[in-house]
Amino acid sequence: MQNPSIEYDYTVAKWFSYLAILFGIIGMGIGVYIAFELAFPELNYVFGQYSLFSRLRPLHTNVVALGFTLSGIWATWYYVGQRVLKVSLKESPFLNGVAKLHFWLYFITALLAVISLFARYTTSKEYAQLEWPFDILVVIIWVLWGVGIFGLIGIRREKSLYISMWYYIATFLGVAMLYLFNNMEVPTYLVTGMGDPFHSVSMYAGTNDALVQWWFGHNAVAFVFTVPIIAMIYYFLPKESGQPVYSYKLSLLSFWGLMFVYLWAGGHHLIYSTVPDWMQTMGSVFSIILILPSWGSALNMLLTMKGEWGQLKSNPLIKFMVLASTFYMLSTLEGPIQSIKSVNALAHFTDWIPGHVHDGTLGWVGFMIISAIMHMAPRFFKREIYSKKMLEAQFWLQTTGIVLYFSSMWIAGITQGMMWRAVDQYGNLAYSFIDTVTVLHPYYTLRAIGGLFYLTGVLMWAYNFYKTMTAAKQIEKEPQFASPMAA
Amino acid sequence: MDIREIQGFLYFFFIVFITVILYGYIVHLYRSEKKGKRDYEKYSKLALDDEPTSSPLEPMEDNKQKEQ
Amino acid sequence: MFGWLEKRPFFFAVGVFVVIAFAGLIEIVPDFAQASRPVVGTKPYSLLELAGRQVYIKESCNACHSQLIRPFKSETDRYGMYSMSGEYAYDRPFLWGSKRTGPDLHRVGNYRTSDWHANHMWDPTSVVPGSIMPAYKHLFKNVTDLETAYAEALTVKKVFNVPYDTDIDGDGKIDVKLGSFDEAKQRALKYALKVAKETKRQDLVNMVENGKIPEIVALIAYLNRLK
Repeated sequence: MQNPSIEYDYTVAKWFSYLAILFGIIGMGIGVYIAFELAFPELNYVFGQYSLFSRLRPLHTNVVALGFTLSGIWATWYYVGQRVLKVSLKESPFLNGVAKLHFWLYFITALLAVISLFARYTTSKEYAQLEWPFDILVVIIWVLWGVGIFGLIGIRREKSLYISMWYYIATFLGVAMLYLFNNMEVPTYLVTGMGDPFHSVSMYAGTNDALVQWWFGHNAVAFVFTVPIIAMIYYFLPKESGQPVYSYKLSLLSFWGLMFVYLWAGGHHLIYSTVPDWMQTMGSVFSIILILPSWGSALNMLLTMKGEWGQLKSNPLIKFMVLASTFYMLSTLEGPIQSIKSVNALAHFTDWIPGHVHDGTLGWVGFMIISAIMHMAPRFFKREIYSKKMLEAQFWLQTTGIVLYFSSMWIAGITQGMMWRAVDQYGNLAYSFIDTVTVLHPYYTLRAIGGLFYLTGVLMWAYNFYKTMTAAKQIEKEPQFASPMAA
Repeated sequence: MDIREIQGFLYFFFIVFITVILYGYIVHLYRSEKKGKRDYEKYSKLALDDEPTSSPLEPMEDNKQKEQ
Repeated sequence: MFGWLEKRPFFFAVGVFVVIAFAGLIEIVPDFAQASRPVVGTKPYSLLELAGRQVYIKESCNACHSQLIRPFKSETDRYGMYSMSGEYAYDRPFLWGSKRTGPDLHRVGNYRTSDWHANHMWDPTSVVPGSIMPAYKHLFKNVTDLETAYAEALTVKKVFNVPYDTDIDGDGKIDVKLGSFDEAKQRALKYALKVAKETKRQDLVNMVENGKIPEIVALIAYLNRLK
């Protein structure tokens, strides 16, 4: 058997890492800003109509979900993919070209998307706000990624695909299907020859549109915030700790479990709405079953650390990853609870929902992307991580931020839900709507501060990454497991 | 039979089908390990042993020879 | 079988796709025909209302306001009759929203007036003390894009057979007229003038009289239609 020495090509992985950091700062910066707007409405007018809450909120969700997260996913894909398939992008000029095109087209589309959202172009469907010309660009980007995945698989040296690869493939397929169906729209200019050429109208109407949107919305969460992040943790946690996955069989089983169950749970976004009853019930039931495969993966990760818990103390990257899987468990328990009909009646439309989303995104997605990129940094630049202390400080600051965030939103959501339904002794509503808004001021403030903590952590991360790139001590060979860091 | 009923049947059989498949998969995983056909746990090395100098766990060429 | 699948990435991918696509197929497709039938009395949006709806979407009002009243006493007391599927038959896209930072608007036309909306959008705290909603003063200057609204109406009429220029309820009269762009525009201007006068703001009336409909007027026409 030959023993080839492969020189992996990290160029595109690096580019996507820079982009993840950039979009992280922008997206979360906007998030913190609009969080403060809810507490202090005067902030709405700072940049005229361009800083109104309603204008910025779609920007926030799009930049963090489709900017920060996707960049993070692709940064890790272009790193992990080569390594577990044992093939370098350098070996195929074609695939290397596709990868670079993928990056640049994505970057350009992202910029256009930001401009179009500032200019009020939106289809109003959550996470699918972009108008049709940009949708077409997104499809091309996705096809390029698909060519990259299957091309690399085609020239691989390793026969079996590692579990992370399974998850990346599922991400690719899932998002492709969902995005295409949810964005079915008719450009009005092409039909009538008048009006705004960017404008389009949805192919679906009313309840159907809602069904498709939340089938998409829920599963976009599945295939952007869950599946690819699991791909990351299955690679980076074992690698950083030097421990094999606790049970590889469990990881395979959880994969199929997740694929089977996840798609059915979308109905829980529409409980007590006008969609058919059986579908709402099914949404609830499947959401609860969904705990099993989710916890299967999360426990598998925690058990991977069995007997090696000392690393949790000594290595901040392990801290990030272990807490990430803990937050994954928390939000995959919280979600099903919220889809129980009676809980949903209280929680729906309140701040508990953004609270739930942020447990998952800040704790699970954010932490995983941060630690994955910091794990890759020493390999990218052949240098130590610039500062371990700073990473530690970042960890604690961000963790405090998340706790502030979700605890304030829990209280806010439940308070608001209770006040909406409270009645006096004669059975009349006890509060007018505005009472239920003003009461939230302290929680909105607290939430914004929590967000500010997290954002500060992200800035520290960016600085640490930059210093690792430029100023940290050089290392001679690529580290095998734990990433080297200067105190 | 209207579309509702078809939907109901499809749904029911799909649930049965995936349950059987999933349990079958568990049996398959443990059986092939017991019989020594395939050790699934060794695949966790795919992540750990991915240095530039590592050789593949199951090289592509290797398998082709086996199949022939 | 399983071992075979795991070594063949292409068939593996097909397998994954079948598994995830199946749910959508059973869940969504059969309900399409059923859910899209309009409730009796539901009519398509007039040109001005549709233009207002586009303003609502452009400003992402749905980020904070829902349009879905759930069947609970506390909600029907607060907002009116609970929402029914057929009422949304002409809503492309749907605007249920997912968060009530502000109140539900599905029947706001029943209990708010044009001048209330105008005052509220100019300075929310003047009518609702303590409100955290921002003012939307730029809507008082922006001119409504009637052409795009007309393009949308014509598109849904042509492509989805939305009943414009049709006698829907069988009383021998055409319910919602669309016609040519010029006809539709004249009708929209007349309607806009009525709304502008209701707002009791002379600047809005002047703009409409000069043939330019401010976005706020279109938006109010849309909100008044929500009943």
